[in-house]
Amino acid sequence: MSRFFATGSDSESEESSSADEITPKATGTTFNKNKEAFTTNLILCCPLRFRFEELTNIIKTIRNAMKIRDMSKCLEEFEQLYRAFLKSKTIVDKEGVPQFYIRLLADLEDYLNQLWEDKEGKKKMNKNNAKALSTLRQKIRKYNKDFETEIASYKEVLNSSTNVISLCRCQDEESESDDDEDSEDWGSDSVDSGGESEDNEGAAASLAVVFLKKYKDGRRKRHKKIEQVEEEVDEDGEAEEGGWEKVKGGVPLVKEKPKMFAKGTEINSAVVIKKLTEILQARGKKGTDRAAQIELLHALSGISNENNLGQGILVKIKFNIIASLYDYNTNLAAFMKPEMWKKCLECIDELLDILFENNNIFIGENIAEDSENLAISDQPFRVRGCILTLVERMDEEFTKIMQNTDPHSQEYVDNLKDEGRVCGIIDRLLQYLESKGSTEEVCRIYLRRIMHTYYKFDYKAHRQLLPWVTGPFSEQDQEESEGEDSAIIMDRLCKFIYAKDRTDRIRTCAILCHIYHHALHSRWYQARDLMLMSHLQDNIQHADPPVQILYNRTMVQLGICAFRQGMIKDAHNALLDIQSSGRAKELLGQGLLMRNMQERNAEQEKIEKRRQVPFHMHINLELLECVYLVSAMLLEIPYMAAHEFDARRRMISKQFHHQLRVGERQPLLGPPESMREHVVAASKAMKMGDWRTCHSFIINEKMNSKVWDLFPETQCVREMLVRKIQEESLRTYLFTYSSVYDSISMETLSEMFELELPTVHSIISKMIINEELMASLDQPTQTVVMHRTEPTSLQNMALQLAEKLGGLVENNERVFDLKQGVYGGYFNRGTRTRP
Amino acid sequence: MCFGPFPLHQTMASRKESAASGSSPLETPVKQIQIDGLVVLKIIKHYQEEGQGSEVVQGVLLGLVVEDSLEITNCFPFPQHTEDDVDFDEVQYQMEMMRSLRHVNIDHLHVGWYQSTYYGSFVSRALLDSQFSYQHAIEESVVLIYDPIKTAQGSLCLKAYRLTPKLMEICKEKDFSPEGLKKACIGFEIMFEEVPIVIKNSHLINVLLLDLQEKSTVADKHELLNLSSSNHLEKSLQLLMDRVDDMNQDIGKYNTYCRNLSKQQQQKQQYLQRRQQENTQRQSRGEPPLPEEDISKMFKPPQAPPRMDTLLIAGQVNNYCQNIKEFTSQNLGKLFMAEALQGHSS
Repeated sequence: MSRFFATGSDSESEESSSADEITPKATGTTFNKNKEAFTTNLILCCPLRFRFEELTNIIKTIRNAMKIRDMSKCLEEFEQLYRAFLKSKTIVDKEGVPQFYIRLLADLEDYLNQLWEDKEGKKKMNKNNAKALSTLRQKIRKYNKDFETEIASYKEVLNSSTNVISLCRCQDEESESDDDEDSEDWGSDSVDSGGESEDNEGAAASLAVVFLKKYKDGRRKRHKKIEQVEEEVDEDGEAEEGGWEKVKGGVPLVKEKPKMFAKGTEINSAVVIKKLTEILQARGKKGTDRAAQIELLHALSGISNENNLGQGILVKIKFNIIASLYDYNTNLAAFMKPEMWKKCLECIDELLDILFENNNIFIGENIAEDSENLAISDQPFRVRGCILTLVERMDEEFTKIMQNTDPHSQEYVDNLKDEGRVCGIIDRLLQYLESKGSTEEVCRIYLRRIMHTYYKFDYKAHRQLLPWVTGPFSEQDQEESEGEDSAIIMDRLCKFIYAKDRTDRIRTCAILCHIYHHALHSRWYQARDLMLMSHLQDNIQHADPPVQILYNRTMVQLGICAFRQGMIKDAHNALLDIQSSGRAKELLGQGLLMRNMQERNAEQEKIEKRRQVPFHMHINLELLECVYLVSAMLLEIPYMAAHEFDARRRMISKQFHHQLRVGERQPLLGPPESMREHVVAASKAMKMGDWRTCHSFIINEKMNSKVWDLFPETQCVREMLVRKIQEESLRTYLFTYSSVYDSISMETLSEMFELELPTVHSIISKMIINEELMASLDQPTQTVVMHRTEPTSLQNMALQLAEKLGGLVENNERVFDLKQGVYGGYFNRGTRTRP
Repeated sequence: MCFGPFPLHQTMASRKESAASGSSPLETPVKQIQIDGLVVLKIIKHYQEEGQGSEVVQGVLLGLVVEDSLEITNCFPFPQHTEDDVDFDEVQYQMEMMRSLRHVNIDHLHVGWYQSTYYGSFVSRALLDSQFSYQHAIEESVVLIYDPIKTAQGSLCLKAYRLTPKLMEICKEKDFSPEGLKKACIGFEIMFEEVPIVIKNSHLINVLLLDLQEKSTVADKHELLNLSSSNHLEKSLQLLMDRVDDMNQDIGKYNTYCRNLSKQQQQKQQYLQRRQQENTQRQSRGEPPLPEEDISKMFKPPQAPPRMDTLLIAGQVNNYCQNIKEFTSQNLGKLFMAEALQGHSS
């Protein structure tokens, strides 16, 4: 086929399709000046016709119901009509209240009054109907008050015109033909409605009404049409000037678009605001093209900028642009598209620019719509809107984006780069609010700032603490070392919140973040004190899940911090709750556990997904587990050795025992591979008091790369660990093998465990004082002399048996008591002693 | 633990044919058991070959009743089989075995069964049940308990037990409720009775033994003088403790039962009293008394825990205690002896 043919057919089909859309009569339209105007008309008419058709349909059913005196149906339909009328409010505002609507209202009221008067008829009515009648009557009376003038005028006309029906008729016939000639598009529906009612009622009065209506309608429409034409001309002119671009007309329901600024002669703030409200009314409605709306708002801001309408309006429009950007996704779970996100960031930035430049703009969510001052005047601008909410929402959107990006992709890194911008915006807003906002707002923005700070390790501060790290700093380092220390910032912000905040939640979050930050930077005592002073552990279970997740994260970080500081017991205690459940992943909000659908339906899963912490804030789970297991090992192995024969020995850590059992169950034990296997192997070595093997299992290449290198101060931690292993191995050794020694030289011990003599001395002394080791120190020879007073296993066993038998006897006696009736007397004893 | 070998009714019938003169309940109960040396050796060998640790081996005893003594002249082991070979027919095996033995002119009459034990733990429900079915079918049958551990220490430990007639009655009635046991006046002491054992060898064997005794060195008997006791005691204590725990639990259960029962009794009493009061009131007002209601339906007595297991546990505990006592007394003797020896030598 030739190209020409193809194009030709294209244009043809286009034409025919557009012609199809309107009524077939349209071929004879009088003002088909150009295509643009034509489509405009089409767009304008569609909603109008649609709405009015809906109304007339309902009215028709009401009239039918009136005829058969079905009041309940009447009431029902009336309510529907009322709703439909509200929906078409925008059109009504423009077009005025449609005549047929007024007509129905008036008729209905008359009809109801008539029924009301008719006492006998009312008695005959069934209960439902009677009830409906009274409610409907009340309703319509109330409702009609709004349309009093219209109804009055209608009635007047009705009265006067009954006499001159014939006259009207001929007049109307003329006008009708006129209508037909020049207004095909909109005339048809009103004619239709008229025709219908004509069919329904044969009464002369209503006939007259129809005619009258038509007559009036015709006149009104003609007047309108003129306006319309004017508008179009304006539009065309403007479009040619290139003042603003007209958006593509492919979207049929956004009727405002082509009509931006009807009277283009003067664009003042009032007009723009009106336009703005018009656009916003479409917001949230079904079928509104949200993308187009955003475009429209952008265009509007451009116009207001051009016409220098003042910052007030601009701010207002910006607010709405951002709001509609957020609205773009109706689904709460979906996240913003990258381009939308970029746009959003830009908009907020611009908005902040404006706010910073102009000191005379007051914004606030409590400024009522009508007290806004947007026009340029001496008074400062007053704009309704809350920038804080917008920024908070932006932050949430950012989290959502991060949650929904694959953390192992380049995309994630790219997205993460935006974090800087987000932080920048929050910082700027913080400055703004510090000067202008209320305390409450300041607290909120502070919390945002804290939330973006607490989990980041401050390498710069860390480096300052390490004097031996010298050398050429790169440029980036220089750059980094400028600016405030994050600890100081955290301190300042959190303290402000502690002092000023009145909502518990913000304070709780701030405390937790503060603790987390302390813990992250190895300020263990501050972190612990803050945790203990806040008494959060007592009542955290009442908090909402996100706060609980934050709490869990904080506890974990606290535990890891304690571990680094060598407080093994504290570390173990802090981590116990999280690790013992076996759901650490879930508790930290770092992923969902696989569970069957019975426990969690799709809805819950969605909620849980929304709570997940973004990947860049994750705490390494393997590190966590390793820290926990190693601290459990350091506690448990000596304890096990000390209480080997104790029947009532409690487990310090169930999880650790579980791992040990798993290790024992292996049929063939190879060299350890995973972190857990390493710990298990090390535990076994420690059980024998073999610290060297234990050490080599805990600290080696594999474990270094897996776990220990993740700490900022790796070297210190490793040294601490070695020392702990030596000490605990010594203790274990003494517990296990003290029975085979009569005496043992401390020097030998210190050689065996490569500990200094004083340390060995202190450890053994501690054990003796705690009555863990039955021995005494012989100072001159530096030896430990065993007392050998510990019971043998057989003696232990006998003791246990004796205890058990005691219990048995007790139980037996209880049975005996029951038989003897002493037990029954037991209850009476209380009453006997009372008087 | 699997059940012991089944008593075979058919064999009993055949025995009755052969000894038709004897009335069905034995007039003179078996007073002692005479065991052939062969049987003892066979049992020991069976355990050595198949038993290990706490696993038990079982087998069938064959013999005859002669006046007031039961002579056990032969036995054969009961093959161990796992749960998965289902098609193994135990009864069939026993029948075959006995038939074959009969062909070589060996006593083929079923007189009981034997079982090995681990530190004297054999008083169990399984043993009770199978011994009951044995005694039910063949009145004179006994169970021989062989303790390999004690035997390994140097003293052969072989004991014959049978159920007392009282226990037989209870088992027949299957009434293990507290009341039933109370009525039967049974305690753990009189559940099993031990029958004295005599090991009889032919003269030829005795001669051989004497000959061997001459030849054996002193070192062979050292085992008997072993002073170390803690291992054995520890094991025994451990087992004893487990039983005591079980006992404790059972008593706890019984205790709650008793309490529930008495509580309910009280409620019942109260209800009846109220009822009576109301009835008297009604009578005084001239109204008809309230209709009788089924009280037993309203107050269902709580389920009584079966007491048989408790009895068995008690029996087992007793058994352990006996064992330990025996062991310690022997050991004390050894220790004194050792002390005296030491004093003498030094």
